[in-house]
Amino acid sequence: MATTQKALLIDITKCIGCQTCASACKEAHGTPGDPEPRLSETALTVVQEKDGKFVRKQCMHCEEPACASACLVGAITKSAQGPVVYDKSKCVGCRYCMMACPHSIPRYEWSKLAPYMKKCDMCSERVAAGKPTACAEACPVQATIFGDRDEILLEARKRVVNDPKYVPHIYGEREYGGSNMLFISDVEFDKLGFVIPKDDLPLPDVSKAALDEAPMVVLVGGTMLAGLYWITNRRREVLMAEAQKKTLRFPVMGDPEERS
Amino acid sequence: MEATKKPLFTMWRLILVAIFSAGAVATYLRFVVGWHAATNLSDAQPWGVWVGLSTLCGVGLSAGGFATAAAVYLLGMERYRPIVRPAILIAYLGYLSVCAGYVYELGLPWLAWHAFIYYNPHSVLFDVCFCILAYTTVLTIEFAPAIVEKLPWKGFRDTFMHWHHRLAVAVVLAGVLLSSMHQSFLGGLFLIFKGKIYPLWYTPHLTTMFYLSAIPAGLAMVVIALYLSNRSLGTKVDPEIIKEVAWVISPMLVLNLVWRMVDLVKHGGGPYLFLKRPETAYFWLEIALFIVIPVVMFNNRKIMNRPEGVYWTSAVVIAGFLTNRINVSINSLERATQANYFPKWPEMAIVVMMITGTVLVFRWAVIYLDILPKRVKVPTKRWMANAGVAANA
Repeated sequence: MATTQKALLIDITKCIGCQTCASACKEAHGTPGDPEPRLSETALTVVQEKDGKFVRKQCMHCEEPACASACLVGAITKSAQGPVVYDKSKCVGCRYCMMACPHSIPRYEWSKLAPYMKKCDMCSERVAAGKPTACAEACPVQATIFGDRDEILLEARKRVVNDPKYVPHIYGEREYGGSNMLFISDVEFDKLGFVIPKDDLPLPDVSKAALDEAPMVVLVGGTMLAGLYWITNRRREVLMAEAQKKTLRFPVMGDPEERS
Repeated sequence: MEATKKPLFTMWRLILVAIFSAGAVATYLRFVVGWHAATNLSDAQPWGVWVGLSTLCGVGLSAGGFATAAAVYLLGMERYRPIVRPAILIAYLGYLSVCAGYVYELGLPWLAWHAFIYYNPHSVLFDVCFCILAYTTVLTIEFAPAIVEKLPWKGFRDTFMHWHHRLAVAVVLAGVLLSSMHQSFLGGLFLIFKGKIYPLWYTPHLTTMFYLSAIPAGLAMVVIALYLSNRSLGTKVDPEIIKEVAWVISPMLVLNLVWRMVDLVKHGGGPYLFLKRPETAYFWLEIALFIVIPVVMFNNRKIMNRPEGVYWTSAVVIAGFLTNRINVSINSLERATQANYFPKWPEMAIVVMMITGTVLVFRWAVIYLDILPKRVKVPTKRWMANAGVAANA
């Protein structure tokens, strides 16, 4: 990949819960107003208090997004720079992305008659123009920082290794195949409302495994059914031939023309 | 038919009017007022009964179509030829109602055609859509003779029947494959929710689970339709045949139980079997209704010797099947999503309207077309040709 992947590092130990990122996000996405307590069609990122800590919640921008693989019309794609973006002109509104997202992030414009999905787009236009995301730019204490994913990951590892207060884990490094949103914290992640997967297998692989079986099943099943039909047909032919033989032996029984 | 005078307003007609009025109001709420008025869907619960009942059960209960077609056309079980047509008709109407249901379910139904120009082959939902469209086409071809044989143009009729006869086996084979794929893929839809689905319902082989459970449920649907036609439409299907179809269901249910339990234990669902949680109750309700009670009833001679017994047993199978699909699509996600979803009345009104519509069209088809052998000859309409062959076979 020619372009480097961008990423955000969110250091939960540094966040002071000032909601500046949430307001900046609303400003950047054309829905200005007060920060909301929960994700909604107008709040694409929120800061929530969990276990005495302030935790940001928004799209994780997975490396292998379940939503993109689920999307019926391929409206959701992983862009080269990292953001998982949504092309609303393709969407048909099936909401499979919302169901598929392991973090339950996508929101729907339930109040509209022509509703679309809404989620954080990692300010893909700003990022493409070489600028950081609105939230990272706004953060007064550098709790959210923006950069190349390699460098961001290195920075995260440096902080976790050098300071014993951190939990020795970078959330998003490997979860569901990794993401472009990385979190470090001094409290266990499951206490902060993070989804802890049993394994790091990317979700698209799960449905891919089932889809990959299909051609084989169809081939084998089709051959078997065709074979069964051949047997059925052969038995019918034999029966007919035998019946005809009997008729020939007793021509009294009827006119062969009429019987066939 | 005797020209007895019937009252204009019978109880069933009033019920019909009530159902369709409710459906009309619900349609108005959904398309004019909005989602909040029509549904209890939310960001935590984006799929409700329109997926759980309309789609999953509509398709599942159509499985009798390909099962009987395969038995007769591919395996040569000629004895069951009289029930192929009604079974195909059930499947056809089932699929059409699923298509109609999507108009309500999709956020932007007028853009549904996007699925075929922006298709995403990695999406199980795309494969599901493809199968719906392809199998509905196959069903149209399979069912077409019932309508074509009633057309007044003899030349067209003969040509059509000639080609239909030559292609019948190929069409049936394609149908069996397509609908088998479709039944399985509906289970496949839920694979990507891994981690959200309660362990009692999650297995990497959800595809197999959906396939194995759809066939007995589809056959139960055929049994019910045949019994009701005999009872209220004056058709005369041999009750022995109905009984034999019902008889096949029982071993299939046992297979379902064995497979389900082995699979559950293998994939770590074992410890969840007896926890004190609502999910445990849903699970055992499903097993009781779908498998245990019907199997006991199917193997009770007293029940099986009466047509009503066969009918009610099949009805229990279907109730169990509905429970299973609702469990997989709604109840299993409850713990992860905390949605507390319960359908709002317009959601249910739409579902009930779809079912009623299906039943009504089935009824008209049985009356005006040759779907089932008839006891009483229905007065022939002007545009109708001779009675078709298939139904009298």
